[in-house]
Amino acid sequence: MVQSTASVILRDIRKSFGAMEVIKGIDLVVEAGEFCVFVGPSGCGKSTLLRLISGLEETTSGVIEIGGRDVTDAEPSARGIAMVFQSYALYPHLTVRDNIGFGLSLAKLPKDTIRAKVAAAAEALQLTPLLDRKPKALSGGQRQRVAIGRAIVRDPQVFLFDEPLSNLDAALRAQMRIELSDLHRKLGATMIYVTHDQVEAMTMADKIVVLNGGRIEQVGSPMELYNAPVSPFVAGFIGSPKMNLYDGKAAGEACATYGIRPEHLRLTADSPRWTGTVRHVERLGADTIVYLDVPGLGEMVVRADGEQFPRVGSSCGVAPLPGREFRFGPAA
Amino acid sequence: MSLRRNMARQRNIGIVALIFASVIFILPFVYIFLMAVKTKQEAALFLFSWPQQWQFWQNLVDVVKTRNYMLLLAYFNSTVITVGAVAMLVIFGAMVGYVLQRRPSGWNRVIYGCILIGLMVPPAVVPTIWVLQGLGLFKSIYGMILIQVAYGLAFSVLLYRSFISTIPRDLDEAAIIDGATPWQVFFRVILPLLKPVTVTLIVVQSIAIFNDFTNPLYYLPGKENVTVQLTLFNFQSQFQSQFNLLFMNILLVTIPPLLVFIFFNRQIVAGMTAGAVKG
Ligand SMILES: Nc1ncnc2c1ncn2[C@@H]1O[C@H](COP(=O)(O)OP(=O)(O)OP(=O)(O)O)[C@@H](O)[C@H]1O
Ligand SMILES: [Mg+2]
Repeated sequence: MVQSTASVILRDIRKSFGAMEVIKGIDLVVEAGEFCVFVGPSGCGKSTLLRLISGLEETTSGVIEIGGRDVTDAEPSARGIAMVFQSYALYPHLTVRDNIGFGLSLAKLPKDTIRAKVAAAAEALQLTPLLDRKPKALSGGQRQRVAIGRAIVRDPQVFLFDEPLSNLDAALRAQMRIELSDLHRKLGATMIYVTHDQVEAMTMADKIVVLNGGRIEQVGSPMELYNAPVSPFVAGFIGSPKMNLYDGKAAGEACATYGIRPEHLRLTADSPRWTGTVRHVERLGADTIVYLDVPGLGEMVVRADGEQFPRVGSSCGVAPLPGREFRFGPAA
Repeated sequence: MSLRRNMARQRNIGIVALIFASVIFILPFVYIFLMAVKTKQEAALFLFSWPQQWQFWQNLVDVVKTRNYMLLLAYFNSTVITVGAVAMLVIFGAMVGYVLQRRPSGWNRVIYGCILIGLMVPPAVVPTIWVLQGLGLFKSIYGMILIQVAYGLAFSVLLYRSFISTIPRDLDEAAIIDGATPWQVFFRVILPLLKPVTVTLIVVQSIAIFNDFTNPLYYLPGKENVTVQLTLFNFQSQFQSQFNLLFMNILLVTIPPLLVFIFFNRQIVAGMTAGAVKG
């Protein structure tokens, strides 16, 4: 079931709702077969950008190309895309079979072809026993799979996902992440995936696009973003727990913002760079997350190994690993 | 102890309410039925009494045969008007409600204003007749259908609009991505989901239109245009003293709406309470 695939190219895309500009000029190339994730805080325009690519929303200016073809003014159905919605958007009055086959029946395909394609998609997603149920008789994960099945049968070149996992519980989300990655490998189609969960972005993406306020902040592979964030915004967004970010002057550095990741700090007694009071300790087994109050800097999060349990209220020395510090911008 | 007493009290209240309701709703029916099977002389007494002589079949045949089977013609006309008007109310009500809810524009306020006016301002008969005459629709079944649609449309648009607002827009968009044209989105996704409202609307409107007396009286004069409620009017003047036949006629005219109601009763209740998209 290998599918055709296509690149997606955005050239200076802008979108305004009334007087408010939501997408402020986006240039992006998504290679054919790539798993591209849009991340960013709520309201930064991720969904809007995805809807522009899908054709549900018209661009104010700019050009969208899919598979080398200018589709800026094309109908959604003529773009070779399929979309999976956060709410799944299954047709409540149709059975799973008819939900998956809806697009095919609109395209007036022969009944046998439809049946065969629906059966193949259902087989791939383990939906075969559920084909005659209505959506309301399905669990969240099953609905999710039906929505994906509805996308697959259309043989799209590009899959668009808008926060497809956010309605699932943590365990199911982890499982669906793996299933989606498998699906991507199996189909080889281009996938564009919107999320505000940086774990989803890090685990699934070939390419992450960090959006902020309608602009691209940085584009790169997960490890590029982790190792070389271009701005405090990206640095704070990628990685968990969040990077510690301080005003440069307060940290005694010649830069606007100084950043150090919790995993790149170690607790040490001899010649610490900072000393703080332990406010809270989270034991995760493999690691211990320590929250310190450092005078002059504020809160500092340290990821220590699982054997270390500093007492709450005690005083602790901290030192950064050399070469792992980030300095953003010139000093003010 | 007090719980049991409470339950007993609740049951008693329920029984009283039931008796009360049956007196109000059933007794008139019983009265009509008893009158309808009496002889002419006995019916003229207007007593709530058991008929001394049963004349059910005889009265039935008399009523149906009267004036060259006028009642059958009336059934036909009323059915045509009801089916035509209700079909248009459903289709246009749902369409207008859909566009009004989904596509906000500057015109929405104006359209809303018109709908509220349609709901509140009582129709004026004489100007309406002028309009109908101008259009060449006066005294025609089509004119009557359009009148019923005009009177009922505001209500059905409001009903549909509020129901459609509970259908997530994602569904429309999913259908568009699946390649549906706007018409297909409406007829294959939205309209099927509106079934609960549609059933409610069909029942309420078809009973109202079928039972309508005044509008056909104003707008549909002429012997060949008679509707069921107007057959009562004709009977009363012709059989000044034949109340048994009049009541038999009432009985016959009441049956179709009653059937509709009994048939759809369960769906109506479901329709009043359901949202479009369940869990
Ligand atoms: N149809 C619309 N009309 C007006 N403003 C809109 C419309 N759709 C989105 N916006 C605005 O555009 C901005 C971006 O919205 P968008 O839905 O793309 O955010 P998002 O990044 O997907 O956020 P979230 O993570 O919460 O889903 C928001 O400020 C929103 O209010
Ligand atoms: Mg969104």
